[in-house]
Amino acid sequence: MSAVSTGVLAGRRRSIALALFLLVQTLAAVFFVGDAIADIVEGNVGAHIYFELLVAIALALGVGLGALALRQTLEELKAQDVALASARGALGDVIAAQFTDWGLTPAERDVAFLALKGLDVAEIAELRGRAAGTVRAQLTRIYAKAGVSGRAQFAAWFVEDLLGEGLDSEA
Amino acid sequence: MTEASSGSSSRRSKGLSQAGQAKPLPNWDPLLRLTHWGIAAVVLGNYALTKEGGSVHIALGWAGLGLLVLRLIWGFVGPREARFTSFLPNPMAALRHLVGLSKGQAPHFPSHNPAGAMMAYALWACLAVLIGTGLLMTGATPMKQAELEAAVAAGDWSVLVEEGEEAEDDESPFGEAIKEVHEVAANLILLLAFLHVAGVVVESRVMGRNLVRPMLIAARRRR
Ligand code: HEM
Repeated sequence: MSAVSTGVLAGRRRSIALALFLLVQTLAAVFFVGDAIADIVEGNVGAHIYFELLVAIALALGVGLGALALRQTLEELKAQDVALASARGALGDVIAAQFTDWGLTPAERDVAFLALKGLDVAEIAELRGRAAGTVRAQLTRIYAKAGVSGRAQFAAWFVEDLLGEGLDSEA
Repeated sequence: MTEASSGSSSRRSKGLSQAGQAKPLPNWDPLLRLTHWGIAAVVLGNYALTKEGGSVHIALGWAGLGLLVLRLIWGFVGPREARFTSFLPNPMAALRHLVGLSKGQAPHFPSHNPAGAMMAYALWACLAVLIGTGLLMTGATPMKQAELEAAVAAGDWSVLVEEGEEAEDDESPFGEAIKEVHEVAANLILLLAFLHVAGVVVESRVMGRNLVRPMLIAARRRR
């Protein structure tokens, strides 16, 4: 799992924890305010009613702020998701253009994509319903067209692209 | 996109294009899911498990109040799908939706469909009546009710003297009416919940998509 997806996962866990916390807080607020109102109705109004009022306000504020915090977390998650998807799309476009440049055939493009995703020969062969030997031959042709020595260099080609862009945008 | 690249690009963006073509189900947020199953548990629990008027029954009712309040707050400050403005009550649209459904057409909505929205409001309204009449009948918080029961259990019957006066009030036709409303609302909410689940099942069938899943767990994002 990539670093970014791990971040999204952590965010999702945080939003669940926040939601649980908010629920407990609301239950506490409702019970407390109910108790205070019952006191007032029964005529149990002493000095402590002011204290209860203060606590009630604090609890209500806590619920409101908790709700806003949860909504913000959810919005951040959504934004991260969109950014992730567009980054993925952008990288995908770069890769597709490069494959076209290298003149890969449609079958080779598919194999190359799976290889980039980290699948090994056996897995690619199974996914595509081809013999392992066929896939191996395709990979060899892909590496030859790309002018790389093997899978590691093949993958590094695109990572280098990303890193280069990162430096550019910093400069 | 060139023809040669289309095969592989569809693999690359499998998740994206799926999300683009098949309209995605709503991605219910954790708070909405929590309040939904909390409310369902409270309603079913108080119907089937607790002793009428007992302290557990009252405590669950108060929990229902908290869940309802939280959901109503969330209807104003929550994310888009959870906001009331995304599923304003519209009986005509609800009828149209049901007619369409009977013909096997189930258009997509970003939040609740119009029929589901009407049902949600009906369930919440019914729950509010239940809780309101429940509060009028007991007038006590679960803490106080538990204290009372503990005192009686310890042999201190004096607490019931005050209660006794109130109990006389309950004998009045007004108290009787409140009790009646509480019972009718309880039966009504069970009927509504049954129709609600039936609706979810029918719509899931017709659309060929599982509506329950996103209500249970977060929708799986494109990976
Ligand atoms: C007494 C029990 C129940 C009550 C009172 C209840 C109430 C509600 C309410 C108020 C909503 C609107 C949710 C919101 O916007 O916050 C809702 C939605 C929903 N409920 Fe329930 N529910 C109950 C049981 C169930 C059960 C058992 C299921 C599963 C089969 C279920 C499945 C759903 C689904 C899938 C939705 C979303 C519908 C949509 O896509 O628009 N509910 N329910």
